[in-house]
Amino acid sequence: MDNELFMNTEFPPPPEMATHFEPPPSSSSAMMLNWALMDPNPHQDSSFLWEKSTEQQQQQQSIFDSALSSLVSSPTPSNSNFSGGGGDGFLIRELIGKLGNIGNNNNNSGEIYGTPMSRSASCYATPMSSPPPPTNSNSQMMMNRTTPLTEFSADPGFAERAARFSCFGSRSFNGRTNTNLPINNGNNMVNNSGKLTRVSSTPALKALVSPEVTPGGEFSRKRKSVPKGKSKENPISTASPSPSFSKTAEKNGGKGGSKSSEEKGGKRRREEEDDEEEEGEGEGNKSNNTKPPEPPKDYIHVRARRGQATDSHSLAERVRREKIGERMKLLQDLVPGCNKVTGKALMLDEIINYVQSLQRQVEFLSMKLSSVNDTRLDFNVDALVSKDVMIPSSNNRLHEEGLQSKSSSHHHQQQLNIYNNNSQLLPNISSNNMMLQSPMNSLETSTLARSFTHLPTLTQFTDSISQYQMFSEEDLQSIVGMGVAENPNNESQHMKIEL
Amino acid sequence: MASADKLINTDVPEKDVFAFHFLQSLSNLRKQNPFDTPDQKNYRVRKIKKAAYVSMARAAGGSSRLWSRALLRRAAKDDNKIVRFSRRKRKVTWKISSKRRRSNQRAPVVEEAAERLRNLVPGGGGMETSKLMEETAHYIKCLSMQVKVMQCLVDGLHYNKN
Repeated sequence: MDNELFMNTEFPPPPEMATHFEPPPSSSSAMMLNWALMDPNPHQDSSFLWEKSTEQQQQQQSIFDSALSSLVSSPTPSNSNFSGGGGDGFLIRELIGKLGNIGNNNNNSGEIYGTPMSRSASCYATPMSSPPPPTNSNSQMMMNRTTPLTEFSADPGFAERAARFSCFGSRSFNGRTNTNLPINNGNNMVNNSGKLTRVSSTPALKALVSPEVTPGGEFSRKRKSVPKGKSKENPISTASPSPSFSKTAEKNGGKGGSKSSEEKGGKRRREEEDDEEEEGEGEGNKSNNTKPPEPPKDYIHVRARRGQATDSHSLAERVRREKIGERMKLLQDLVPGCNKVTGKALMLDEIINYVQSLQRQVEFLSMKLSSVNDTRLDFNVDALVSKDVMIPSSNNRLHEEGLQSKSSSHHHQQQLNIYNNNSQLLPNISSNNMMLQSPMNSLETSTLARSFTHLPTLTQFTDSISQYQMFSEEDLQSIVGMGVAENPNNESQHMKIEL
Repeated sequence: MASADKLINTDVPEKDVFAFHFLQSLSNLRKQNPFDTPDQKNYRVRKIKKAAYVSMARAAGGSSRLWSRALLRRAAKDDNKIVRFSRRKRKVTWKISSKRRRSNQRAPVVEEAAERLRNLVPGGGGMETSKLMEETAHYIKCLSMQVKVMQCLVDGLHYNKN
C-alpha cells in the first residue's frame, strides 16, 4: 500500500497521512516520510499538511528522533511495516540522514534535506519527470523551515527517487549503518544506476540551477569552518551523495561560492575519494566533512577531482583558482584586445594597462574640460541649480525613474524644441510644463511642481539622453548649453546670439 | 552593458546617470569658483578630476561597490568631510586574514599582478584577489562610461565654442 503510494507519483490521499500523524512514532515517521516524499500534491493538500506540520514542528522532530532510533535498531521489523522492502531502505536512509542533521542543527533544514535527496538521486536509475514545486513545498513543510526554494527547486529528481526507491533491496540499508555512506560497498548495480541517474538528473538540475551554477568541471562540496569534533562525528557521506543537492543547499547564500553541481565523470571515483577523505582527513582542520551545524550559506562545497590531491588546503586553492579564472574571463570580455593574449599574467598586465589608460584619459579630459569650462558652463549653473533643488537625495532613483519613463522620440523632440525656446520665451513655459507632465509623472512631481521653469531641463536631459545612446553633438548642445538649439539648423545661430 | 554572468553582477547604470552626476558636480564647482584665474589652472584641473571621480562613484551606485565607497571616503577625507555609509552586512573577514597569511602560496604571478591592480583600483587594499577582480570589472565599466561622458561633454562644448 505504501509502496503503491510511492510508485504512484500521483499523491495518495494526504489526509490519511495527517490522521496518522500522532500514532506510534515509527510508523508515523515513516508515514510522514511517505507523505513528504510524495509527489505532486494539490496545493490545498499541501497547505493542509503545512499547517499541521507547523503546529507539530517540535513533535515531528522528536518523532523523527525516536523513529530513527527505532529504525536503526531494528531494520527488519520496520521493513516489515511497509509493504515495499526497497522503499524502506530509502526511507530509512532518508530518515537517518535527516535525523542526524536535525540532531545537530535544527536550522539546517536545507542541508538536511539536501543530502539525503542527493543520495537517493544516485540510487535511481531513470529519471522521472516530476513537477518540482509541489515536491519542494512538501519537503519544506516536512522540514518545517523556511528553506529557500532554490534548494529544492534544483531537486527535480526527487519525485523520481521517490518513485524508484523500490529498486533498493534491504541490503542497501544494511550496508550502511551510518547515515550516508557511499553506496559503493556492495551495490555495483546501484552505483551504475547512480551514475546514470546523476547524468540524467544533472540536466534537469542544470535547467533549474543554471543561473547560479558555475560551470566548474568539478563537483564541489567543502565545508570550511566545520569544527573538528563535529566533523569527525558526522558522517562525511552526507556530503558524498550527489553534489547537486548539497550544492544547492549551499547555494543560497554563497553567491559565487558554491561550485557547479554538474558532474563530469569520475563519479564512482568520487565516492571512493569520499572514503579517502573520510579516513585521511580527520586531522585536517578544514576537513571535507559536511555536517556543519552552521548555516549552509557560508560553505563552499568542493569535491576533489579525480587524480588530484584531496587535501583541504589544495581544494581551497583550487576553488580560489577557479574563481579567479572565472573573473578573469569576465575581465577579458571587458578589456578590448585581451582575446589574443593567453595566460593569466599577460592578461592581467593588459588589464592593468587598460585601467591606467582609462584613468589617464579621465585626467586628460578633465584638463580639457577645465580649459573649456570657463565660458561654456555658465549656462549650466542655473539649470543645474534647478536640478539640484529638484532632486532631493535619491539621485539614482530619480535617474532610474527617468530611464524608465518611456516617452516617444517625437515627444522628446517636442520637449527639446519647446525647451530650447523656453529659455527665451516665457509664454512657452506653460505649454512646456504641460508637455512634460507625463514624463514627469515618473519623476518626483511634487518637487517638480515648483515654479522652476528650468525644471524640465532635467527631464529633458535624462529623457533625451536615454533616447540617444550616444551623445550627439546636437543633443549635447541642447543639454549642456541650456538654450543652445537642439537643431543646429535653424536655431543654432539664434542660440548663438544668446550665448 | 548587461552583465552576462548572473553570478557576478557588474551592471552599471546608463550613461545619463553618469552625465547627470558629473554635470551636477561641475556646476557645484562652478558655483564655488566663479572666476578661474589662469594660474589656478592646475588646481582647477585637479578639482575637476576629483569631481569626475566622485560623481562617477556616486553614479555607479554609491555604496554598493567597494571601490566607490573607498573613493568617496578618500575624497571626503581630503575635504575633511565625513562620509557615512549605511551598514552593510560584512562577510566574515577571516578570509582576508587567511589570504594575507598564505599569500605566498597563491599563484605568485597572479598575486603580483593583483598587487599592482590593488594600487590602481580604489579600495583594493582590503580585498581578496577574486573580489578584486570583480571590483576591477565594475570599475572598468564605470571608468569607460565616465570617459565617454566627458568626451561628449568636451566635444559638445568645443563645438559650441567654434
